[in-house]
Amino acid sequence: METLSVYVPKLVTNKEYIASGHRACSGCGEVLALRYVCKALGRNTIISNATGCMEIISSPLPETAWEVSWIHTLFENAAAVASGIESGLKALKRKHGYIKDVKVVAMGGDGATADIGLQALSGALERGHDFIYVCFDNEAYMNTGIQRSSETPFGASTTTAPSGKVSMGQHTWKKNMAAIAAAHNIPYVATSCSSYPFDIMYKIEKARKVKGPSYIHILSVCPTGWRCPSSDTIKMGRLAVETGVFPLYEIENGEYKMNFDYPKLRPVEDYLTAQGRFRHLTKEQIAEIQQKVIVEYEKIKMLSSRKKGK
Amino acid sequence: MTSKRVGLESSLGIAQAVKLANVDVIAAYPITPQTHIVEGLAEMVANGELDAEYIPVESEHSAMSACLGASAVGARTFTATAGQGLILMHEVVTVASALRLPVVMAIANRALSGQLSIWGDHSDVMMARDAGWIHIFVENGQQAFDQTLCAFRIAEHKDVMLPVAVDVDGFHATHVIESFYLLDQKTVNEFLPPYVHPTPLDPDNPVTMGCFAMPNYYFETRKALDMALRNSKKVILETWEKFGALTGRHYLPVEKYKTENCDTLLVTMGSFSENAMMAVDRMQESGKKVGLVRLRLWRPFPTEELVAALSGAKNVIVLDRAISLGGPGPVCSEIKAALYPLEKKPHVVGIIGGLGGRDISPENFIALVELGLEKIKTGHTGEIIMFGVRE
Amino acid sequence: MKNDIIEIRWHGRGGQGAVTSAELTALAAIHEGKYAQAFPSFGPERRGAPVLAFNRIRTDRAVRERSGIIKPDIVVVIDPGLVSLINVTDGLKPGGTLIVNSARSVEDLQQDFSGDWKLAVVDAASIAKKLLGVNIVNTTMLGALIKATEVIDCDSLREPLEERFGARAKSNFEACKQAAENTVISEITPSGDKRPRSFAVEKLPKWNELPVGCVVTDVGNTKAFCTGNWKSQHPEWLDSKCIKCGICSIFCPEGCIKQQKDGFFRADLFYCKGCGICARECWTQAIKMVEEA
Ligand SMILES: Cc1ncc(C[n+]2csc(CCOP(=O)(O)OP(=O)(O)O)c2C)c(N)n1
Ligand code: SF4
Ligand code: SF4
Ligand code: SF4
Repeated sequence: METLSVYVPKLVTNKEYIASGHRACSGCGEVLALRYVCKALGRNTIISNATGCMEIISSPLPETAWEVSWIHTLFENAAAVASGIESGLKALKRKHGYIKDVKVVAMGGDGATADIGLQALSGALERGHDFIYVCFDNEAYMNTGIQRSSETPFGASTTTAPSGKVSMGQHTWKKNMAAIAAAHNIPYVATSCSSYPFDIMYKIEKARKVKGPSYIHILSVCPTGWRCPSSDTIKMGRLAVETGVFPLYEIENGEYKMNFDYPKLRPVEDYLTAQGRFRHLTKEQIAEIQQKVIVEYEKIKMLSSRKKGK
Repeated sequence: MTSKRVGLESSLGIAQAVKLANVDVIAAYPITPQTHIVEGLAEMVANGELDAEYIPVESEHSAMSACLGASAVGARTFTATAGQGLILMHEVVTVASALRLPVVMAIANRALSGQLSIWGDHSDVMMARDAGWIHIFVENGQQAFDQTLCAFRIAEHKDVMLPVAVDVDGFHATHVIESFYLLDQKTVNEFLPPYVHPTPLDPDNPVTMGCFAMPNYYFETRKALDMALRNSKKVILETWEKFGALTGRHYLPVEKYKTENCDTLLVTMGSFSENAMMAVDRMQESGKKVGLVRLRLWRPFPTEELVAALSGAKNVIVLDRAISLGGPGPVCSEIKAALYPLEKKPHVVGIIGGLGGRDISPENFIALVELGLEKIKTGHTGEIIMFGVRE
Repeated sequence: MKNDIIEIRWHGRGGQGAVTSAELTALAAIHEGKYAQAFPSFGPERRGAPVLAFNRIRTDRAVRERSGIIKPDIVVVIDPGLVSLINVTDGLKPGGTLIVNSARSVEDLQQDFSGDWKLAVVDAASIAKKLLGVNIVNTTMLGALIKATEVIDCDSLREPLEERFGARAKSNFEACKQAAENTVISEITPSGDKRPRSFAVEKLPKWNELPVGCVVTDVGNTKAFCTGNWKSQHPEWLDSKCIKCGICSIFCPEGCIKQQKDGFFRADLFYCKGCGICARECWTQAIKMVEEA
């Protein structure tokens, strides 16, 4: 368990920037992660949000759950809109006496990030805009009804890659967005998870201080799409981390650092069997996943042990 | 205030206007025949002649997206595109108007793929027709320069707050070096007040932009946008009046050329109007009562002005430089609709021509008018008529 | 009546399967050779939020209507909590039928409504829990519909249930039959001793009352929106076990658990959706989830 042992009220601001009354499903881990992200960002922030669950649950005209300046335009362009905001502010500062210190943040789901918006994201990272991109990865297109994305894990059943008599559901491995982001040679990349509030807030605060682009990929538990009880949201995220299915690490200027290293990982079975989307998997398929998880986990560990200049 | 006459490529004339407007952010992706505009601007930024952020985005979709972001924080914003670029951008184009962000865009009108054609016609603009933008067509470099400046004033006016497209024919207008009267900075500063967004994205006064609308809200949001677009005509007229007083160059939504006592009126839009004017001169010299009506303001559609200009004629011949595949020419059908309520209607015949960069010379225009009149005489006005295609 | 169109409105919550109820009803009617439609209220409602589903059924000719149902003949309320929340009888035709899943007595429910309607009540929750092992009553409520009206026969449900539920069809069918047996039919009258009820009517702006670009400046105004009525259970605190660590508050997706002056924590039940995370994550087990009355 994360070292969040004691006394949250002393450690975390009471201030919320995503108001209650939002329409996320009961037990939504994505909105939970969003809460932490917003707390860490604070008020001097402008957010560009992609279409998806977090947009829909927060902004039915004439209502809004947002308490920071926020814009939603389309599904695939959050990073491009953020580029414009950042450049606009730069010009206003240089030419029109604008003095506010604003962090520009783009955010979207895994579909908005790894699929349809990958090009816009890549462009914005490559151009070096001073902004944070946050991907809330709930491992499918949840807003439209649990369709597969390139972040859907191997073996999961979704509505467009369902398990059936001749299919195990998703037969591709999860796209590695952190590596893709890091390949743009940006200063800061990190993964996190909705069950680790202090980890999320630490990484967002760090990203806020970075000059240039940073990318934070947050595994966000979705009880609706993962088919698990809403009360298990936190547990499920912890299991993802403790089984090594979703390791938490940072890539700072190309240097990997594993944040939570478990000498002994829990078996992936604990994670998989707790969710309806994996219920159909056979012992052999679970073993295959187990093997892959260990290989990938070791890779990150190996990268973490390799320090620059050594 | 008006400087001396200079020689300039029209694209660079547009760039000059953008520079004089002291734009804050330019986000663009290259596509022929728009390239010279954005290259010109990039050069100005690189040389420090224009203090702006130039975002070399990775697509037109991102170009317009970046423009939305910049405009939403209160930065004056420009982009340019053409043809497939406009169509790739299209998804974002509808958002600019709905969010009422006054982005100004030059469209170097280009034919649509795919048999790829980099050459000019109006098919790209026609596909963007219903997106809630103001569309102003120009005929030459001077007009492109003038209307780009006017576009910023119209777009950002507090009673308008809508994006504006200046539609410039690819190659026939964009790539021609011609003579210009530019304006000096002081005159432009007087003409163009600073851009102030009433509720920008601002950390001190947080706002939410881009809510979704349920069925109990959406229709009202559309009516509000439609009314804003219709009502923008007042500011457009006022802007052109002011510009005319300042420069002596006068613009109207519908401009007439030698239409007095004419039985037959030709209607054109864009750069070919200049050839059409020459054709009218010659036809009138030989005693034919043919005049020209040029449509400058495409959206909001100037129904009143068009009806006033056309209602006295016996015959109206409309040139469409776009094809609505499987349907009638887009400009012609709107003109027919505008004239329909009249008790005494002129005969209207639509002719499609000039697609994919094909010329219509002054001589061609004379033939085109004759073809139109022939169709009217023989009662074939309902036909889809194409001019200059090999049949 | 026989050849007229019959319109049904279902009230449920996202995730409770109201749409499935409507679909099964339509499929059963079509199975009987009738013409029928089923459709949801299209919207972004999430798990827990009130949702609607609809049916149209006609015996003699095709159903062509393609608009919402405003004056239903039958209203079925799947979630008992909705009765006090939503005007479920809105537009219900005189002589129409109101079917409610509720553990409350018929006499008590009668006091909530005034109109010239038939009332059918069944405690579907306990049937479902007993026969299906879960509190999901969408198929069970079909039994009440069958008992209270003539729109479909019990037997015509068999095939659609099998298609949808496979091995679980049998228990669902049993629950349905049990519900039909247990359903109590009575009347509602337009007058008499009624409990006063009122429902907020949303004031909608005209087009020219919308701000430019529909920008919302009243940020955080979802705070006026009650999500608390989505819940079927709520947390209760046992302060003697609480060590005031605040873990429960950090893990609440609604951000609705706040520390009080005395240092203990409480949920604002106006927002609490009853997810159960707080109870699950409290390491001293100071919180327990309690079923809504
Ligand atoms: C161009 C376009 N294509 C498709 C859609 C429909 N759409 C809206 S949200 C969404 C899925 C969102 O998935 P994701 O980004 O993973 O976010 P989530 O809802 O899971 O948080 C889709 C497919 C759209 N809005 N725009
Ligand atoms: S579908 Fe999943 S991500 Fe979307 S609101 Fe519901 S729980 Fe959250
Ligand atoms: S988590 Fe439990 S012990 Fe901690 S504050 Fe909440 S109720 Fe008290
Ligand atoms: S059950 Fe607990 S965690 Fe869930 S919404 Fe209610 S108060 Fe918050």
